[in-house]
Amino acid sequence: MVRALPPLLLLGVLAILPLSDLGPNSVKVLFLTFVAVATSVGWNILGGFAGQVSFGFAVFYGLGAYTTAVGINLGVSPYATYPLASAVAAVASLLVGLPTFRLRGPYFAIATIGVSEATRVIMTNLEFTGGASGYRITEHVPFRQIEHYYTGLALASLAVAVSIIVRRSRFGLGLRAIRDDQEAAADIGVNPYAYKLGAHAIAAALTGAAGGVYARYAAFIDPEGVFGFPRSVGILLMPVIGGVNTISGPVIGGGVYGVIEEELVARFPQLHLLLYGVLVMLIILFEPGGVIGLLQRARRLALRRKVASWQPS
Amino acid sequence: MATLLSVEDLTKYFSGLVALDRVSFEIREGEIVGLIGPNGAGKTTLFSIIAGSQAPTSGKISFEGRDFTRVKPFRAVHEGIARTHQIPKPFLSMTVHENVEVGLRFGRDRRARNLENEALEILELVGIPSLARMPAAALSVGDLKRLELARTLAARPRLLLCDEVCAGLTESEMQSILGLLRRIQALGTTVIYVEHNLRAIVSTCHHVIVLNFGKKLAEGPPEKMQNDPAVIEAYIGKKT
Repeated sequence: MVRALPPLLLLGVLAILPLSDLGPNSVKVLFLTFVAVATSVGWNILGGFAGQVSFGFAVFYGLGAYTTAVGINLGVSPYATYPLASAVAAVASLLVGLPTFRLRGPYFAIATIGVSEATRVIMTNLEFTGGASGYRITEHVPFRQIEHYYTGLALASLAVAVSIIVRRSRFGLGLRAIRDDQEAAADIGVNPYAYKLGAHAIAAALTGAAGGVYARYAAFIDPEGVFGFPRSVGILLMPVIGGVNTISGPVIGGGVYGVIEEELVARFPQLHLLLYGVLVMLIILFEPGGVIGLLQRARRLALRRKVASWQPS
Repeated sequence: MATLLSVEDLTKYFSGLVALDRVSFEIREGEIVGLIGPNGAGKTTLFSIIAGSQAPTSGKISFEGRDFTRVKPFRAVHEGIARTHQIPKPFLSMTVHENVEVGLRFGRDRRARNLENEALEILELVGIPSLARMPAAALSVGDLKRLELARTLAARPRLLLCDEVCAGLTESEMQSILGLLRRIQALGTTVIYVEHNLRAIVSTCHHVIVLNFGKKLAEGPPEKMQNDPAVIEAYIGKKT
């Protein structure tokens, strides 16, 4: 229960924070961070828990965004469009997963890039959603930033809750077994194909909802923005920064990314993808555990110092 | 006793190379059956096909009278066939206890129950109860073999396929593993046991099947196989 205290405290602070006089820009950054955290935590369920690295999560983000956008314009309540966005993304994840989960490791990763790019091209040429020129959401209610803030916070909390539940369940144990050794998992009774599809669907549902929540805030989306390859890389990068295959790692990674991403894109519009690439390589080379790995390393070091300086009295 | 497993004309080609050539045999319930043969005789391939990790080129397998020829590995486990691997394949991110828990929660009997106690019972049976909280990655080769066996037993198999559980172990470790196999059999599990060591086979098995170059060379009681000229020739070579 002690371990549950810091995250609950953080949640409490974030819940009452808007009561203080935050500027609209800070609220915006926090909102985008919540969306980032939700996608990061979602990706980690497949990429971390089950160890299946996908470069194709923009597909689910984008489909969620477009589902909400089209839904709102058709007069559906925004809050009813989010589950719809999840459902569309989850169905898409099955269609993507059925062929690609026959592949392993890097081959799976490459296949997801292909699916992601194909989806982007289709959406760029889809007349009904305006193609490459994008799609505008028209709502006949006044824009209230604080409503978006709380929607984002609720979404991020939901994602973390789902992640904890999955981690502790029998399903989560099966995913860990698959991550460690897929053959051994199958030989002890785990159905790897079905479990990977399940993890993919849960991850996609969270990512789709995040896309929907983002779309309503942005009020304008275009294929390059929500389906683009940088989006896929960004979603993968967050849990890698924070520490894959943990509960808090993807939250930390999403937090870091959400805060710095806007700034990076604004300052280095052409270069930011290159920066991500370098960052990923540095993390994989020096600390595959991400921020969480670094913290653990620091703790071990501190402990060793303590032991070394210990004097019998 | 009743036939538990029957294998009929099982053949497996690896792109032109024949690994198993029309192998047929039956396993009766409750026995420990030894499967021996020189390196490359097809023992592990036979195991993989029975456990469902590989599909045969032709032939038929039935388990308790039902067709199991192209069964998926996890389905085979749910129905009661589980295997160990020659080189242990532990889940390295987990503790010893968690490894066993995977077997308990995904094996044949998946009802909710007291996992803690059952896992400990199995670890006691294989002789490593004190290692329950250790990370699997920290275990020695001998203990990894015990863990492999513990995890497979946790799946509650009716037919246990044991692939060279004694290879690389010391004499005393081997004796304790053989004793363990006898205890597992006494508890009602049928065992097929791949082994190089003839002495281990003779001291443990009721029945022996000899493979050579993918073909069944002979089968019978262990004492008889030990003195069979064809078997001796396959193992040691022809007398000059």
